[in-house]
Amino acid sequence: MSNQPNNNGFDKAKEAWSKARQKYADKITPKTNLSGIPIRSVYTPEDTASLDLANMPGVYPYTRGLYPDGYALTPWMQQMVFGYGTVEETRKKMESLVAQGMEGYFGHKVFNVVYDLPTMYGIDADHPEAEGNVGQCGVHLCTVEDYDELIRDWELEKTNFSLITGDNCLPGLALIIAAAQRRGQTADSLRGNSMNWYPRIAVQDIPSWPPHLGYALMTDLIQYCSKHAPAWNTANIFMYGLSEAGATPVQELAYGLAWGKSVIDAGKAAGLEPDHFVGRLGFQVGIQTNLFEEVAKLRAHRKMWAEITRKAGCTVPQCMHARVHVHTAGNVLTAQQPLNNTARITIQIMAAVLGGVQSIHSCSFDETIGIPTELSHRTALRSQQIMMWESGLKDVADPLAGSYYVEWLTDQMEKEAWKIYNRVEDLGGYMKGLADGSIKRDIDNSAYQTKLQIKKGTLPMVGLNRYVMDEKEKHEPFRVDYAIERKAIERLRAFRKKRSQQEVDGALLSLKNACDQFKGGAGHLMPVLVDAAGKGVTNGEMMETMRNAFGWVVTD
Amino acid sequence: MVERPIKVLLAKKKIDVHGRGTKLIARELRDAGMEVIYFRFGTAEEIISAALQEDVDVIGVSIMTSGHLSIAKKLMSGLKEHEMDDVLVIMGGVIPEVDFDELKAMGIDEVFLPGLPGETVAQYIRENLKRVYV
Repeated sequence: MSNQPNNNGFDKAKEAWSKARQKYADKITPKTNLSGIPIRSVYTPEDTASLDLANMPGVYPYTRGLYPDGYALTPWMQQMVFGYGTVEETRKKMESLVAQGMEGYFGHKVFNVVYDLPTMYGIDADHPEAEGNVGQCGVHLCTVEDYDELIRDWELEKTNFSLITGDNCLPGLALIIAAAQRRGQTADSLRGNSMNWYPRIAVQDIPSWPPHLGYALMTDLIQYCSKHAPAWNTANIFMYGLSEAGATPVQELAYGLAWGKSVIDAGKAAGLEPDHFVGRLGFQVGIQTNLFEEVAKLRAHRKMWAEITRKAGCTVPQCMHARVHVHTAGNVLTAQQPLNNTARITIQIMAAVLGGVQSIHSCSFDETIGIPTELSHRTALRSQQIMMWESGLKDVADPLAGSYYVEWLTDQMEKEAWKIYNRVEDLGGYMKGLADGSIKRDIDNSAYQTKLQIKKGTLPMVGLNRYVMDEKEKHEPFRVDYAIERKAIERLRAFRKKRSQQEVDGALLSLKNACDQFKGGAGHLMPVLVDAAGKGVTNGEMMETMRNAFGWVVTD
Repeated sequence: MVERPIKVLLAKKKIDVHGRGTKLIARELRDAGMEVIYFRFGTAEEIISAALQEDVDVIGVSIMTSGHLSIAKKLMSGLKEHEMDDVLVIMGGVIPEVDFDELKAMGIDEVFLPGLPGETVAQYIRENLKRVYV
């Protein structure tokens, strides 16, 4: 071949490229990514010429990352979701995860504890509707004693408790604060995260508070913490939930940011200064399997949040940081040939790390079958650790910066997301879209379109619509012994016997009065809940009082 | 006998989460010409009473967060009590395949893995309907 290297500039190279592909160029099928953005097979300097790429990591607008040297000072936090049975079983699991090397920044402990459905829903173990669900897909934590055991011996200032609550978010925080107080410490010694994700109701058909009260409760927790627990992360903007419900990556970005904006608006309306609370909001982002699209999404996300928060009045850098915990996507995992999921999860962890996130939960390959086994859960953690210590991925901050494709795609994702975001804002914001069902409709439609694409085969899924095997899967999931339900009920009854019923009755009456006032727009709930928790009121009792006062609805 | 579309009640167990799968199946069964009542969340008793009231041909129960064996047991004994033997009962969602036989032994007609096209479910329903229409 006598092809001469072309050093005479881009135009000549491009001409030669055109020639080289002439014969087959029109046979190439056009592609789009999951967000529906058309993707070409080659990107060039022309695609980035109009973009402002003069950015550095750790500098506004943080497209290239929150920290000037990426992961150089400390790697991401390994925050595996765990929790089952009573606090006793979960305590053992905490210790085994620590032994397996799961840790957060600078060696701090991180516990990403998921509650069982009865606790999330706000019913105690002995409630008839709890039957069959106690300790099954999370830990049952209903009394302050359960929380005593959860935090026992951990050094609070160096331990992160992420409490994956449901609607029991405020009671959950009240109970852990009461437990800290019982060991002589105050709320401000606690580190961790309340989910406070009432706005997920926009896409989940589960019953919850009416929208205005849902937002008021969310804000009450934020206000309480800004005063009493300034190191506590007050809300998790649950983009993962949007993604799992069917949002495309661009929709997840747009609606997630609109959700975040609605939290800022609510806080400001309650009289909080943006610099005093926005820095304690964080995101949980879903990562599907299209690696570059996800990296671009994470980069665009940081930039957009920086712009939104600055516009909202934030002045300190920490308040403009989109801090991200990644939950690798469950919806793209298949029940068919489940070991294949390890490949998907690996790609997802890679996308998260290349995207520069702060924290990762990696799914276990068998979550499509049931509760993960010890082995699959540990392997998911080990996959992160291999990525951390063997892959070299974390050595360089924002390593894909400057890639024509990734920079172009980051810009495209941003542009498309702003379109949706601005439409939501113009129509009255996320809370309105939640109340009128428009967010749910939009995301449900995407879920349906995705399903149609899988059915048609235009969205390939190995094992599901390609390389299908007709074999029965013999995988045995982790089983939580139903006897645990009895154990949980016994723990609860023993606790009830010990407490002063008179104090409990008094606390419940105060809570009822506070709820009535709160409903009328006056007073605060968190201090009353903390007091009640300390007097022995259970999660279910607090929630029952709140449900009676506030109502319990399913949004359309 | 009047010809009418096949009527399906889709429900999730009382406290469960993640409705994506159920909502998709609801839509796909409607695409397939069936009438779908999307019941969201219910105990076995609530599901049965809705099924009676709506006079459905099929009950579909979706499970995300375990408890499939216990709800199946309650559902089947409740259906027997109400002499609803002509209702086709199917389940789907995050259910281990190793439990399929036990579910079928209890009387569940078929169990579906997550992610399958709704058409697979629709076809199964058409071919296995217990009530006969002219």
